[in-house]
Amino acid sequence: MSSDATDLDTDILQTLLGFLERFPTKSGELGAQTDLSADLSLDSVSMMEILVEVEDHYDISLPLNMVANVNTVQDLVNEIKPLVESTS
Amino acid sequence: MSISDRFTELAHIRDSLGSLAADPSRVVMEKILSPTEAVIAGKPTILVGTNNYLGLTFDPDLIEAACDAMHEQGSGTTGSRMANGSFFSHAALEDAFAAFYGMPSAMVFSTGYQTNLGLLMGLLGTGDKVVLDAHSHACIYDGCRISGADFFAFKHNDPDDLRKRLRRMGPDAKGALVITEGLYSMLGDTAPLAELCAVAKEYGAWFMVDEAHSFGIYGETGRGLCEEAGILDQVDFITGTFSKSLASLGGFCVSRHPEMRLLRYGSRPYIFSASSSPANIAAAHAALRAVRDRPDLKDKLWANAERLHGGLSGLGYTLASPVSPVIAVRVPSHEEAARTWNELLASGVYVNLVVPPAAPDGESLLRCSLSAGHSFDQIDRIVSAFESAFGGASQPLPQAAGAQ
Repeated sequence: MSSDATDLDTDILQTLLGFLERFPTKSGELGAQTDLSADLSLDSVSMMEILVEVEDHYDISLPLNMVANVNTVQDLVNEIKPLVESTS
Repeated sequence: MSISDRFTELAHIRDSLGSLAADPSRVVMEKILSPTEAVIAGKPTILVGTNNYLGLTFDPDLIEAACDAMHEQGSGTTGSRMANGSFFSHAALEDAFAAFYGMPSAMVFSTGYQTNLGLLMGLLGTGDKVVLDAHSHACIYDGCRISGADFFAFKHNDPDDLRKRLRRMGPDAKGALVITEGLYSMLGDTAPLAELCAVAKEYGAWFMVDEAHSFGIYGETGRGLCEEAGILDQVDFITGTFSKSLASLGGFCVSRHPEMRLLRYGSRPYIFSASSSPANIAAAHAALRAVRDRPDLKDKLWANAERLHGGLSGLGYTLASPVSPVIAVRVPSHEEAARTWNELLASGVYVNLVVPPAAPDGESLLRCSLSAGHSFDQIDRIVSAFESAFGGASQPLPQAAGAQ
C-alpha cells in the first residue's frame, strides 16, 4: 500500500470518528473496529445523517446498496475510499 | 441471523406494538358495510384509512363487471401470461390504459408492489445507477435492491439535492434512472414533478413516477400528478396500482417508449407471477371507465378532503401537509399516538396509526385517507371523534405551530 493510500485511509477514518463522536459507545473506545449498530446503536435515521455528512464532506454519493456490507467504521472507510479516489 | 433469531426479533416488534395496546394488524373487519364503514369488534365504524379514494369498491358497475367476468372466464387464470397465455381481458385493459394516456405501451401486473418490482427488475441490472426520493415506497427500494443497481437517495421533494446527486455521478448521470412518487402516502404531500423532471432531463436521465396514490385523483382527466404538472410528454415511465382509486387488485405501467413492452421478456415478477384474476381485471377496467367518465367522484373526494382538513386544522392540530386526500395529524409521542388511535377506534373511527420508521421525521402519525364515498356527516363525526380522543389526553393537544 502506498503512503498516499495510507494517508487517505487515515484521513477518512479520522473524519468518520469526528462525525461519530457525538454518539455514545456502549463499550470500549470509538475506533476503526467499532460496530456501528451493536456498539453505537445507530438507528437507520442516524446512519443516514452520518452518510449525508460524509457525502457532503467528500462531495461523493454513497450507494445505499453499499450500506448492507457495512458493520464497522473500517468497513465504511473501505467503501468510501474508492469513491474519494475516483473523484481526486 | 438464524431463523429462530428472526422469529425473536419479529415477536419483539409485535410485543412493542402490544405494549401500546395498539396493533392495527389485529383489527378485524367483521362485516364490510360500504366503502366507508365496517363492523369492528361488533361496532359500526367509519373507515378513514383505506385508500379507497373514489369509493368504488361497492359500485354497481364494478361489481357487475367482476361478476360477469368470473362467470365468463372463471375464478382465476391459474398461471402467468408467459406460460399460460393471456386472457383477452388483460390485453384489453392494457389497451385501455395506453389509450387513456395516449401512450404506445402499457403493461398490467398482479399487484401494485409487483408493478414497481417488475418494472425495476426488468429495466435495471448490476452497475446501473438510480436516484430515488428518500421517502419512496418499500417496493421501489426493494426493486432497486434486487436489481443489483447502485441506488442513491435524494432528499425528499428536493430538486436541488437531486441535481447534486446527479452532478456527483459524473458521466454516469446520463442514462441513470430518477424515481419519484406523485402523492406521498404517509404525509400526504406531493412531489414538485415539473422541477424534478427538468433536473433529470438536464442530465440526460430517465424519469419515472409512481402514481399509486395520485392516479384518478389529480390532473384534469384523472391521469395523475404528471398530467397536473404538464409532463406527460416527458416522463418516461408511470406506474400505478389498482388497489386504491381503482378499487381492485393489480397494477399498471405506461410509457411513451414502445420498447417498454419488451419487459414482458425480461421482468421476472411479470414472467413468474400468476396474472390477476378475471374479476380483478374487470373491476379495474370498469373503475378506469369511471375515472374517465365520472369526474364528479374526484370533485366529491376533494370536497371531503377540504372539509376534514379544515375541521382538523380548526381544532389546532399540526397537519403534515396542505389539503390532499391523505391528511396526517402529527403526534410527537408514540404512546400518545397509540392512545389516541385506540380512543378513535373505540369511538367508531378507524384511521391508520403510523409510527417510525414507517413515519418519516421521527414523529408518529394518525393518518386519514379520504374517500368520495364519505358523507359530510361522516367527516364531521370524524372531526368530533378526534376532538374527544385528544381532549381526553393527559398531555396537551398537538399544536398547530409549523402546520402548513
